Amino acid sequence: MEAGALTLPHGGGHDEHHGPPPANRSSRVDAPTLGMLLFIISEIMVFGAFFTAYFFIRVVQGAEWPAEGTHLPQAIAGVNTAILLSSSLTMHWTVMAAKADNRAGMRAGIFTTALLGFTFLFIQINEYVHIGFSPSDSAQGSIFYGLTGLHGAHVFIGLMLLCFVAIRVFRGHFSSAHHRGLEIPGIYWHFVDIMWVVVFTTVYIL
Amino acid sequence: MSLRAPGFPRAGLGILLAVALAYGLVIGVRALYGWDPVLDGDAVLQVALIAAPFGFFIGFGLFDYWFRWASGAPTVPEEHSSHGARSWKDYFRVNTDHKVIGIQYVVTSFFFLLVGGMFAMLVRAELAQPGMQFVNPNAYNGLFSVHASILIFLFIIPVFAGFANYVLPLMIGAPDMAFPRLNALSYWMLPVAGIMMLASFLAPGGSFSTGWTAYAPLSTEAPIGQVFFTIGVQFAGASSIATALNFLVTIITMRAPGMSFFRMPLLVWANFSTSLLVVIATPFIAASQFFVLLERALGFNFFEVTRGGDVLMYQHVFWFYSHPAVYIMMLPGFGIISEILAVKSRKPIFGYRMMAFSLLAIVVLGFTVWAHHMFVSGMQEWIRVPMMITTAVIAVPTGIKIFSWLATLWKGVLHLDTPMLFALGFVTMFTLGGISGVMLAMIPFTIHVSDTYFIVAHIHYVLFGGSLFTIFAGAYYWFPKMTGRMYDERLGKLHFWTTFVGFNLTFAPMHLIGIEGMPRRVADYAQEFAGWNLFISIASFVVGLSTLVFVYNMVVSWRAGIRAPANPWKALTLEWQVSSPPPIFNFDTIPTVVGGPYEYGVPGAVHGVFKGAEVKTTATPAGAAPVGD
Ligand SMILES: [Cu+2]
Repeated sequence: MEAGALTLPHGGGHDEHHGPPPANRSSRVDAPTLGMLLFIISEIMVFGAFFTAYFFIRVVQGAEWPAEGTHLPQAIAGVNTAILLSSSLTMHWTVMAAKADNRAGMRAGIFTTALLGFTFLFIQINEYVHIGFSPSDSAQGSIFYGLTGLHGAHVFIGLMLLCFVAIRVFRGHFSSAHHRGLEIPGIYWHFVDIMWVVVFTTVYIL
Repeated sequence: MSLRAPGFPRAGLGILLAVALAYGLVIGVRALYGWDPVLDGDAVLQVALIAAPFGFFIGFGLFDYWFRWASGAPTVPEEHSSHGARSWKDYFRVNTDHKVIGIQYVVTSFFFLLVGGMFAMLVRAELAQPGMQFVNPNAYNGLFSVHASILIFLFIIPVFAGFANYVLPLMIGAPDMAFPRLNALSYWMLPVAGIMMLASFLAPGGSFSTGWTAYAPLSTEAPIGQVFFTIGVQFAGASSIATALNFLVTIITMRAPGMSFFRMPLLVWANFSTSLLVVIATPFIAASQFFVLLERALGFNFFEVTRGGDVLMYQHVFWFYSHPAVYIMMLPGFGIISEILAVKSRKPIFGYRMMAFSLLAIVVLGFTVWAHHMFVSGMQEWIRVPMMITTAVIAVPTGIKIFSWLATLWKGVLHLDTPMLFALGFVTMFTLGGISGVMLAMIPFTIHVSDTYFIVAHIHYVLFGGSLFTIFAGAYYWFPKMTGRMYDERLGKLHFWTTFVGFNLTFAPMHLIGIEGMPRRVADYAQEFAGWNLFISIASFVVGLSTLVFVYNMVVSWRAGIRAPANPWKALTLEWQVSSPPPIFNFDTIPTVVGGPYEYGVPGAVHGVFKGAEVKTTATPAGAAPVGD
């Protein structure tokens, strides 16, 4: 019965084997999931502050968008959006596979998800290299790099989590009985994807 | 002295490696881009200020468990050797026990109170006479900036987190916080942030001197000392968010059986509301400082008007956090006062539910008033009147609380000991601060007194007469629980009266000289204000001396006070139903809650019961062998 303890990534302090009395569970939501949801609220607010900056620059100041003489590659970003959104699907599929004790499915799922994530990040960095303006050129450039960079940093954190989880997937730590350690990074990954849709819409489309 | 085991030696190594990394990164990147010179001291400093704390955390052992988890290795199940403290040395290690962390928090915060108070004394020494005496204007700006930043981010906000860390799990019948390791990390970010802010005095060009508000473009163009604030606030803020998240999860998922939301003590409600504010608002100050950092370090143009930026955006983002922050610094104090007034007047809290709902109302309304700090900033005029109205409206839930406290006191059997005196001092002083707050909501009045000493008087009536009085009240009230000793009542009363009188003599005259037009944040002033300023400075030294009485009382009583009984105040809430200090795992069995927390004077009222024997058959008792694993 060793694997049981292994699959709890966030040692909640009350998954103990001796020591304090077990805490009463006063909610149906388990602690790590709730913690992740609250963390995501904080993350949304960080993005909210960056969107405030975007609002002040583009709407209040009425700056031309994008800045004069620059061009935003909507088509490439659109393809990238599709890539990131499909990674959300594969993430969901991975969790479903875990719930069905489908080991091969889990492995394929987490591998595809991470691969799509890395592809997204690679295309994003490639876009920076070829886009032809820098954050110091204009306020529009600053907020473009600010929003997409903030999001890129979140993709990076999400990918780190996926890699940690992938190790355990390939070691067979997750099953229909124990998949919380897979589910919670999954929630974060879905958040990163949904956030991208908002960033993409406001920065590239509108 | 092992560099392999977690601890200070390895943390020192971590810091060294982080600084080396900062040099490497800066030289590498600059060489790659072909910039000259390859070594840029400011850039290295900024990278090092971000990297060194992580070097410390990793070296100190705060990430050991998570690294093990990340690498896919078997994680060691919690083995509780890091619970409890047997000697003072245990407070200087990574400890996951909420009671140890609570004391770490409280003691560290009070240390920063003394540091921040020292800066206030220096400011008052300089202001005792017109003209320049001890410091130059730039150093003066640095003094009041660090004074405010230290006392806000390193004292008031974390000291409340410290008290709550200690008593909140006990109050709701939980064995610990929901995420003990995150809790430890939250604590250790604090000294890092504090040391960083103080270290800014060593920076070339002096410490940061842009106030605690760090308005752009002042902060984006200030000397390098500014980034000690910019980055230090990030660590204090991250600590604050992590703790708030921890409180929320603990309160929601770990309440004892029978502890419904409307049976929770108001301190728990207060911290629940505060934590909601922190989780939602604190990311905004983090972002505002990211903007400043990006602008300084990478040449971004968020605030550069000539390139399409918006300079007022900083103030909007900053105050969207910092107005709620005044409630982050106030609501936990409301909770403390509710506990003390009920216990010390032996009466149930009047309007318990209204007290809880008014907290939530403040949380919501707190997000609708930020621009009242910007009436003279030159923002769009149409924002002014709505913000004036919401600011006046937010006084309503606060007023509800004050009337509830007064009704609780009404015909009560008042025990006028030190915690109660501070609680009563709080109710009177905070009401005055609230009234000057409503005055400041009125646009014409604000325009008249903007950036004068009236503002200084208002903020100190709220944060000193308000927050600090609740903190002193809480410190005396829970001192027996946290240390197992009684404090000296006579010294406590002496402390209260000297503080109360000194405080009023210091800050009440500031209203007058403010209305007469003495500007704040200036090292020199017109001759006509000389009399009052000398008076204020002398009074402020009385406050300074009174703090020494407090420190003496705490230190001596902790070492040699008489042993405290489990429940010296005959309180009903759960933290008083266990020994002083509580057992290492809080409870042998989780209590069952059967009634409200404040049924004082009601015959036979019980809040929680310990059904020892029958519960033990289903729950694993402390220290039992692991079963089936
Ligand atoms: Cu305000």
